Order: sequence, then C-alpha cells, then structure tokens
Amino acid sequence: MGAAVDAAEPLVHIRSFRMDFGSLTVIRDLSFDVHAGETFGFLGSNGSGKTTTLRALLGIYQPTAGTLHIDGKTFEPRDGARLGYLPEERGLYKKESVLDIMVYFGRLKGLSRQRAQVWSREYLERVALADKAATRLDKLSSGQQQKIQLGVTIMNDPELLILDEPTQGFDPVNRRLLMEIIETQKRAGATVIMVTHQMEEVERLCDRVILLKDGVAEAYGTVVEVQDRYGGTVIHLEHSGIVPTSNLYDITLAEPGHAELAPRAGTDETEILRELVGRGVVVRSFTAARTSLEEIFLRVYGEQPEPVGG
Amino acid sequence: MAQHNLRTVVGFEFFRTVKKARFWVATLAIPVVIGVVFGLIFLSNETTSSTAEAQKNARLTFTYSDSSGLVTDSLAATFGGTRTTDDGAAVAAVRDGTVDAHFAFPEDPATQDVRIYGADKGIFQNGTYAAVARQILVSAAQQKIDSPQLAAVAQGNIAIESTTYKDGEVSGGIGVVIPPLLFLVIFYASIILLANQMIASTLEEKENRVTEMILTTLNPTTLIIGKVISVFMVGLVQVLVFVVPVVLGYVFFRENLSMPELDLSHLTLEPGPMTIGALLLLGGFILFTGTLVAIGAVVPTVKEAGNIYGPLIAVIFVPFYIVSLIVSDPEAPIVQIFTYFPFSAPVTALLRNAFGSLSRVEAGIVVAELFVFGFLALRLAVYLFRYGSIEYSKKLSLRTALGRRNHA
Repeated sequence: MGAAVDAAEPLVHIRSFRMDFGSLTVIRDLSFDVHAGETFGFLGSNGSGKTTTLRALLGIYQPTAGTLHIDGKTFEPRDGARLGYLPEERGLYKKESVLDIMVYFGRLKGLSRQRAQVWSREYLERVALADKAATRLDKLSSGQQQKIQLGVTIMNDPELLILDEPTQGFDPVNRRLLMEIIETQKRAGATVIMVTHQMEEVERLCDRVILLKDGVAEAYGTVVEVQDRYGGTVIHLEHSGIVPTSNLYDITLAEPGHAELAPRAGTDETEILRELVGRGVVVRSFTAARTSLEEIFLRVYGEQPEPVGG
Repeated sequence: MAQHNLRTVVGFEFFRTVKKARFWVATLAIPVVIGVVFGLIFLSNETTSSTAEAQKNARLTFTYSDSSGLVTDSLAATFGGTRTTDDGAAVAAVRDGTVDAHFAFPEDPATQDVRIYGADKGIFQNGTYAAVARQILVSAAQQKIDSPQLAAVAQGNIAIESTTYKDGEVSGGIGVVIPPLLFLVIFYASIILLANQMIASTLEEKENRVTEMILTTLNPTTLIIGKVISVFMVGLVQVLVFVVPVVLGYVFFRENLSMPELDLSHLTLEPGPMTIGALLLLGGFILFTGTLVAIGAVVPTVKEAGNIYGPLIAVIFVPFYIVSLIVSDPEAPIVQIFTYFPFSAPVTALLRNAFGSLSRVEAGIVVAELFVFGFLALRLAVYLFRYGSIEYSKKLSLRTALGRRNHA
C-alpha cells in the first residue's frame, strides 16, 4: 500500500512524499489526506517517520520530493496562528514565568495581550495550575510543564491540531484530562492529527488512521476498515461440546470450553451462532469483537527490527 | 501580522532580560566598581591635599656642598639649606639624625650625579630630597640666565598653535580625528557587550527545545530580527547604566575626582567622515550580528559556541597590532588586506576613516561589502536557524543544512 488517496478536498494533503537524510531514506513514498473536522491517527513504530512527516508538513524539514499541503498550500509560519502543534520534543522557555510564556505565544498566535492573559488564566484554572501563573516553568513538575505546553498548543482555538505523542509524560489522571481537552477541541470543530502509541485512545478518538512501515503507508482508512483488513472480527466462544468445522468461519483457537473463530468474508455473526446451535454446540457465551488496533500493531511491527532515523 | 509579531518578540526578549536580577547584578557591577574607584580617588585626593598642605608647611633641614658654583646661599636658604664644605661631617650629621639631608652638587651637574644623603622617611617621602635638590639647581640656572622668557624656553615650556591646510581649507587636526573614532569605540563596545548575549539568545531556543513551537508560529526572520533589536536595546540600557554615573560624576564632582575638563569646542564634525563612520559601524554591526546568530544556530551549547566565537572576536582586535602601519602607510599590502577582509574591515576602515586615509571610493567599496556580507550573514543565520536549530543536541553540518535547500 504505497499510496492512499481520497477524492474529497482535504485539509491536509500529502502526495508522493519522500524524505532522505543523506543516504538514509526515512520516507519512501507516502500519500494520504486528512479531512477537515476529523481526528486522524498517525501510527507507526519508533523511527518509522511519523515525526519526520509532521516536520516536513510544517516546513521544519524540506522534503526530498513530494507535495505537502495544508489547506491547499505549503505551510508558512505566518499560518501558525490557526495551527496548534505539540511537538515530540517538548520545550518552552524554562526561565520564564508560566503566564509570561503563555501570553507570549498567545500574542504570536494573534491574541491581544489582555485576551491572552484571560485565556491563560482560565486554562490554568481548568488544569488546576492557577496558583502557578507567576512560577518559573522549570520550577514545575514534568507533568505540569506538559500541561502548560498543551495550553500553548491549543491557544486561539486552532483549526488544525497536530499532537505528536501527546500523552507522553502524563500520569493516568492527567492523561484523561488531556483527552478531555482534545475532545473539546474536536467538538469545537478542530481537525486533529495525533501521533500516539496508545491504541485504545486511537480506537476511541480517531475517525481514520494511517500505519507507517518502511517509509510507506502499511494501512490507511477508517479504524474499522483497518481492523477488517488486518484481522476483522474475532468471535470468542464459551461452549460445551466440540466446535465443528464450517465454511462460515475458521477456528483460530480451540481449547476445552473455549474457542476463537474468525468469520470468513461476508459471513454475519448471527449466521455463525445459528450454525453452532444448529449443530448441537451448547453456547454459554458468544462475543464478537473486532481485532484491536494493538493486536494489528503488534502483527504489523512485532517481528520487525527497529528502523533507524526520523 | 509580521509587525505585530516583531513587536511581540522584541518586547518579550527585551523585558525578560531586563526583568532578571542576574542582568542587573552583572550590569550594575561595572558602575559599582567605577563608583568605588571614584570614591577611592576622591578620598585619595582629599588625603593628598592634606598631605601636600602638611608638606608645604613642613621645613626640610639640609646641608649642601656646591662644586659647580651655581647655588647661592640665599637661594639654598629659601629651601632650608645651609652650606658646608665638609661632606664627610655632613653625611655623619645625617646618619646621626641631626639634619634631614645633605646634597653634594658636583662640578658639572649636566654630566655628573648630584649625591644625596637623607634620613629614611619612607619610599614616597624620600623622593622629596631629589625634588628639592633638582629644584634648587633649576632655580639656580634660572637666576644665572636672568630672563624669565629664556628660562621658560630653556625648560621647554613653549605653547604652540599650529594651523594645517587640506584642500585649501584649514584642517581640524586632532579635533577632526576624534569624532569619527567614536564610531570605532561604539563598534567595539557593542560587539563586546552584545556578542555573548546574541549567541546565547539564539541558542536558548535550541537548549530549551522550543524551536519547533517557534518555527510553526513565527517566521524565523522575524524572530532573528526581533532578537537583534532586543539585544541592541539591552545593550543601550547597559551603556546608559555605565555612562550615567560617569556623566553625573563629571557634572557634579569633576574637581573632586580630578577629571580633566572637556573642551568640545576643538572637535570638528565633518559630514563626510561622520557619515562614512556611521555606515561602517552599521555595516560591521550587521555582519557580526548575522555571523553570531549563525553560530548560535549551528552549535548545540554555549560552550561549543565559544570555540568559534573566540577567534571571531579576536579578528576585530588584530588590526590593532598594525595600527601604526594603518595610520602611517595605508597603502601597505597588509593594511589593504585588512581593509577589505570583511571581519577586519570595520575596525581597519574606521581607523583609516578617522585619520583621513580612506578615500571615498575605498569607503564606498568597504561599506557596500559590509552591507552585502552582513545581509548574507543574516540570511544564512535565518536559514541555519530554521533548518539547524532543530538539531537540538548536535552540531549542525553546514553541508547538510545547505544541501537541504536542493531538496525543495
């Protein structure tokens, strides 16, 4: 799957993107789109080129070849007022106070000083850091600094939110808070591109995903499409008796009292249940579940050596 | 938007520097030291005045012998001296402490030593003996000449007023040289005071890993120009802090501090050299600023910046090793090389401009060269910042950075 193309006018449009660092090719040929208003999961193993792609999209790297457009044109920093970017490499001005930093970035994103101050104080209140407004950033804990960084990212309600491993460094409580904030932005109409290794978050939040492998898109589409392509539905069966073979499913696991069945293409779960009951299997529990993205991720990358570069 | 962002960057960078206690500690350290020195001078002058007054009132008792025949008894008496013919007894009297000193004036004071024997009164007070002996001889010589004018001429006390002409007009002499030289002083002060801050200011984005946030929010050119302006403003604050105590000291305590009176009426501001000086200063400042920012964009830490920064700063001092040649023989090949080599050009050309040996054509070439190289350095600095500052923890390879342009 070297290229994945959509017909509709996308907000992010990447075609035939190639990125070399000297003799090392990090991205070979990558094409995908992200549509306005959707939440897009950008997945891949460490070093598969996710961050490189985002940096090239945002003009931090110059691509070796290809087209990378946001809203129909190459990104320019002056467009940053409507962009929220949380980079993988976190960092703000450590020796400055929290409020000064937030107001500075708010001003750069087009807010007035007063509006930036009001917004910052409201945000600090929301993330329980209101008493830290005058505190120097390096006096805060790592998690608190992450919250400030996220606040700077979402200032001025960006239309496009690009989050590179946003949950990195957050404890479970703050991770939930972070996800709430992202969902709020999503509800407000923001397009979200999210790089993460938290597959349950991808399944919960993302409309579509792309999996990068060896510099190309290994999988691309809605979460369900990717799940179908890489494993589809798995039926977990608790039973008595012997599960018979059938042309409706494959038996992927057979243990005493428990089996896992993989429905064949075009087969409905109800048909399988009817078949089992009809052939005398005492069904105590019948659960159909799609293959999780985590399983797919492990299947795609599990046996692969760690790539190097971007 | 660009103007708004530029103002925002300048404001942020300026105020976050001047709001820091560390900045004021470092900045105020120099005027405090100056104040302490002035205070010591003040106290010293007070003490010196008292001592001088005391010395004036104290009488030195001495004996003398005179083989030259120049010293009269009446003259020696005015200094507290008594003639003797027995040098041995006189020296013994000094040893016994019955007289302060004995001077033995030789037959020919022009070629022979005056021998002085005195009671030890400390390293500074002992100098009094030589001063008195010398003054006795000078006064004796003046009495012999018997003419105040001739005596003054013989002492070399001659006032000279010279008038020189250039292009048919009276030239201003040293009064013309000083004003354009001030640009050289400003150049040195600005580079030395601001260079470190300029590098640190750019490096901060890298060291704080804030580059990506900045590069996606703000045009790097705006950021770099904003930083240059803010660092310049910080420099102005420092200069004010340094200069104000000196000005206050001069205006209110000039006599107490023994500061020379400044007579600015002799200074002549010639439009040509002043304009060229200003342009050389501006061009040189842009060139060095751009280069320093580029250094900041390439290296990962302040420590590594020092390896490049040191030689660069040394280059601006190199012309001073040949300053006499620059002034006396501006056509010498080494002076010509220094005049046109971009990093030595500001200092060399500013010196030559002040001393009137930089022709208009040469000045035009150097000014154009500085602005062109300065502009290129700033462009390079912005480019390296944009594509180099993302290399957070390692030194950027220039070939790699510049090669990226070809991939676009």
